[in-house]
Amino acid sequence: MSTEVATQYELIEVDSTTGLLSWVSTVDHKRVGILYILLAVFFLLIGGIEAVLIRMQLAVPGNTFLSPEVFNQLFTMHGTTMVFLVGMPFFTGFSNYLVPLMIGAKDVAFPRLNAMSFWMLPFGAFLLYFSFLTGAAPNAGWFSYAPLSTKPYSLGPGIDYWLVGLIVMGVGSIAGAINIVATVLCMRAPGMSLQRVPLFVWIMLMQAMLIVITIPPLNSALALLCVDRWLEAAFFEPVRGGSALLWQHFFWIFGHPEVYVFALPAFAMVSEVIPVFSRKPIYGYAFVAGSSTVILLLSYGVWAHHMFAVGLGTSANIFFSIMTMLIALPTGVKIFNWTATMWGGSIRFSTSMLFAIAFLIQFVIGGLTGIMFAAVPIDWQMTDTYFVVAHFHYVLIGGVVFAIFAATYYWFPKMTGRMLDERLGKWQFWLWLFGFNGTFMVQHFLGAMGMPRRVYTYADNPGWALLNGISSASVILMVVGTIVLIWNIVKSLLHGEVAGNNPWDAFTLEWATTSPPPETNFDSLPEIKSRRPVWDQQHPEYADWKFAKTPEDSGRRPDRAKVCAWAFVISEAVFFVLLLVTYVVFNSQASDDGPSAETVLDVPRTAIFSGFLLASSLTFWFSERSLRAGRRKTFLFWLGTTILLGIVFLCGQGWEYAGLISNDVTIDRNLFASTFFTVTGFHGLHVTAGLIALAIMFTLGRKNHLTKVHSKPFEAIGVYWHFVDVVWILVFSIIYLGAFKL
Amino acid sequence: MISEKLWNWTSPVWLVVGVLLIGYLIVGRGRTQNQLAIYLLGLCVLVLSFVSPVGVLADGYLFSAHMVQHLVLLQVVPLCILLSLPRVKATKWFQSPRRDRVGRLLAMASIGWIAGVGAMWFWHVPLFCSAAAQRPSLGAVRDLSLVLAGFAFWWPIYAPCERYRLDPLRGIAYLFSACLGCTLLGIYITFAPLSVCPVFASPVDRIGILNSLYDAGLTPGIDQHLGGLMMWVPPCILYVGAIISLLCRWYSITDSTTEFVPGSAKSSGVSL
Repeated sequence: MSTEVATQYELIEVDSTTGLLSWVSTVDHKRVGILYILLAVFFLLIGGIEAVLIRMQLAVPGNTFLSPEVFNQLFTMHGTTMVFLVGMPFFTGFSNYLVPLMIGAKDVAFPRLNAMSFWMLPFGAFLLYFSFLTGAAPNAGWFSYAPLSTKPYSLGPGIDYWLVGLIVMGVGSIAGAINIVATVLCMRAPGMSLQRVPLFVWIMLMQAMLIVITIPPLNSALALLCVDRWLEAAFFEPVRGGSALLWQHFFWIFGHPEVYVFALPAFAMVSEVIPVFSRKPIYGYAFVAGSSTVILLLSYGVWAHHMFAVGLGTSANIFFSIMTMLIALPTGVKIFNWTATMWGGSIRFSTSMLFAIAFLIQFVIGGLTGIMFAAVPIDWQMTDTYFVVAHFHYVLIGGVVFAIFAATYYWFPKMTGRMLDERLGKWQFWLWLFGFNGTFMVQHFLGAMGMPRRVYTYADNPGWALLNGISSASVILMVVGTIVLIWNIVKSLLHGEVAGNNPWDAFTLEWATTSPPPETNFDSLPEIKSRRPVWDQQHPEYADWKFAKTPEDSGRRPDRAKVCAWAFVISEAVFFVLLLVTYVVFNSQASDDGPSAETVLDVPRTAIFSGFLLASSLTFWFSERSLRAGRRKTFLFWLGTTILLGIVFLCGQGWEYAGLISNDVTIDRNLFASTFFTVTGFHGLHVTAGLIALAIMFTLGRKNHLTKVHSKPFEAIGVYWHFVDVVWILVFSIIYLGAFKL
Repeated sequence: MISEKLWNWTSPVWLVVGVLLIGYLIVGRGRTQNQLAIYLLGLCVLVLSFVSPVGVLADGYLFSAHMVQHLVLLQVVPLCILLSLPRVKATKWFQSPRRDRVGRLLAMASIGWIAGVGAMWFWHVPLFCSAAAQRPSLGAVRDLSLVLAGFAFWWPIYAPCERYRLDPLRGIAYLFSACLGCTLLGIYITFAPLSVCPVFASPVDRIGILNSLYDAGLTPGIDQHLGGLMMWVPPCILYVGAIISLLCRWYSITDSTTEFVPGSAKSSGVSL
């Protein structure tokens, strides 16, 4: 038996650097990055096939190639796939691969967490696509508007798979984003001040922060919809007092910043590609970086422009319209930066640069139609037509996908050590350029003519057949272009020209190491005194730091465990805020429909149990101090007390639940009960999770594995534990004390 | 004429503005032209928010006008005053240990944040909101507290002495989180089904303009809607503006401080 195990170990050892298992078990950021990208490519093909099927159905009027039901499933899965399984993984992949290299780090801040984030993704994807086997793939659109997505209107399991799949992928995305935040803040090489990081790194930091705060609203919406569907609550069912609009609000609070989660990385990529192929530094670094930060801030305040047609009222529409036009400014600024970078430069029209230039033009078109939609009357006229489809495909394909192609041609040599074939690359470029514009430009006209989106077929109205025919036929060019790309990749991997360290004579640190980089990334780092260290190293006479000063590196780096804990806590805070908003929304008006907070909650008793929870924060603080001072016994005592207090609190909650349920106050009773159980239940789950973490710490402490040197990670758990308490204070004052009704 | 009724030329705000102006002219030696202009701008906005229809309507008629007044008191006036303080003179003034202690106390981010965001929240609890709108004395307390809270809020960002200011990145986090605070309250007020400030739901028609207001579409529901959006969007835009100025500060840190000496950078050829 034991020899068998030993042989297995040997096998693992042998395979640890090559072979399939090495890819499955890897925690190397470069390999994880490539896994992300491969997964994205795979689903790009799947989502692409779905798109091709959709366009085949729409090629001629009155077509019966697909049934309405299958058509609904296809556009739902196409949207969901492209957003969650293509866009997000592509960017996370590039970010994973490049960010540590660009800041001169050996790896990301948390390599194992990184691997976990990745593996959540195929798991979620499996759940999502498994729904096809049940015969009922999700069919309510990528935003699953309620009440269509609630049980009475979608009986099949499709939406359930959609919900669970998205939650799993969302958790993975947040974990991945936290990792990037911690990596950029904590792992920079000496000399790399935050004002000196390549624009790619800065913008990806902004994108990661945006993910941290933008996925939680989706998660809370998904959680509520799960409660609706599985436990028969009615958050989103107007018939039973719920609000279908609430789903739209929550979804778009996620959904609009999500657009920037996509757009920012595209900006990041072209901000690297354009300067290198123009042989100039970026024009106005601070503008590009600063405007990305502003986008992050503003993107949270424009979601309702997706809802102009639902009747929010004129005043709300006007405000959101203004905000939407405002956010066009920081985006527009960048277009000028990139153009000015090319101005007077010595431009090399490599395939990568061609894609970047096409990005610029097509993104402007998508952006301009976006500003058109910011005007409420135009939105009313155009909403739910193919004009919208054309608009966001110009942003997402013309902009984002073209940027990804630019990035692929630019960084492929670094990742594989071989150049992609430029001649084939140019074939792909022109095929995609004509294919994409042919497919989507005509959809502007179709939309203006009133062709509705998400309908499986259309009548033979004048001109519609021709324009749809052009649109569908052009897809063939994109398909051929994609085949050319795949052929190019295969061919280059086998016989491509060897790249060398820095084939493009580029500026940033990833080009200072071999292609592909060794496992620890760098043998030695060049001196970092400016934003373009590799340029400085190779052209010392024109070194940037001689001409333009950049803020010095103070050398201080925050503790990564703390950064991770804080980022996680912020993300959780957003989740809870939205749950509490739900509570307030549904309970601010007195209703005589069954139990309410005033009639069924025992406030004094809960106050006492709250005391236990709050006291546990204090005892935790004591245990933290003891650990720092190296007093093991007192540390264990206070930690044990903390755990006990937490358990007492949970018992109190259990007691309360038992009493309520025996009085027939259950989660499906009315909206008070639903919101009450959802909010306190999720809080209880968080306390439980915290207790598990504390119990692990306690066990480690007892076995003497937790000592003074581990005080930082322990304090990070403390951040979470205190956070759970703070949330409870809010929950208590809102639900039990009714603070919002003062 | 309705338009005449809508102006309150005899508002006591003139007194306050007079005192502030004379005070500034005496104390604010060493000011630049720009600073004087900013100060005057602040005073003009202050006057307008009480004398113009905004002030009249804020007095018991429109919640949204009342919110505009709040924003002026909490955000605009303190910001303008802080920006118009002459830097050199203020730095000297804060050299005395006692004043320095006050300056440092105000520089604590948590105090400013709680003061700024808290004042907004506190005065919009329906109970206090109505009480302050009904009793002039309490109203004056509210107005004063808003200005003071505004001072405390802007101090860590635009204090006249460099040493009281937050590091730019922390400043950005400070403003961004404050923006989220306003946003939450704004969303609540905008979409709340109940009246946040009951006084404005059934105004006493002092000057006989209520019907024309309602005819113009400013019914209590719409009014509260607007009020919530006022609390939400304009402050956030102001904060984003401040954030942009902080970013400029951050990117130009070295340019103004020490002269760059080649070779003084840490890390040369670090081996990993």
